[in-house]
Amino acid sequence: MFEFIVNHYNYWAYVGLMMIGFYAMMAKRNLIKKIIGMNVFQSAIIFFYISTSVKGGGATVPILEYAHNGHGHNAVDIMQYANPLPHVLMLTAIVVMVATLGVALAVAILVFRRYNTLEEDEIIMQLKRG
Amino acid sequence: LKTLSLITGIAVGAALIYGTLDMPKWGDINSPASTHVSAYYLKHSITDTATPNVVTSVLADYRGYDTLGETVVVFTAGMACIVLLKKRKGG
Repeated sequence: MFEFIVNHYNYWAYVGLMMIGFYAMMAKRNLIKKIIGMNVFQSAIIFFYISTSVKGGGATVPILEYAHNGHGHNAVDIMQYANPLPHVLMLTAIVVMVATLGVALAVAILVFRRYNTLEEDEIIMQLKRG
Repeated sequence: LKTLSLITGIAVGAALIYGTLDMPKWGDINSPASTHVSAYYLKHSITDTATPNVVTSVLADYRGYDTLGETVVVFTAGMACIVLLKKRKGG
């Protein structure tokens, strides 16, 4: 049981981080805080993927050692290097994250210009008043 | 609204934690993520692309079209920001 907890508590940390972001997206009234919650959510997903690339037993970053000596036909010990694919996929995900963050902040600036506030309830009150 | 959000968050978190019970353990060498296709990239990267950094060779060579699409994403986001933030006449 204790071993199970030690081997799995990293996932629970990501779930906790993700739920912090999720709660911020749902419950906060300030639009900037909602955007920060979205970023925390996406960061939790990225942490999760990166953690799947870990290999125990001293695997390092996936940059091949001594690759250019000889003719480049050295046998590669795949247990020596971490899994490269989650790193690549999360590079793509970081790009998408930055893009969504930029557009969301631009829309927030537009909302602030129009209503002079970023609080959701005040915006709704202004809309109801006409 | 806050209590409803809290309840929803806790429910989703509990479901996710229930999902992690079947996940491979931390640093497992034989986990599904590191057994099937990633070994191919580690083994063939140097002969296929002559790049020691496997992440670079996968990003820019094996998945070059994906990276091209990535630049399209960044371009679209930049264009959207420019269009949104442009000063309008009488706006």
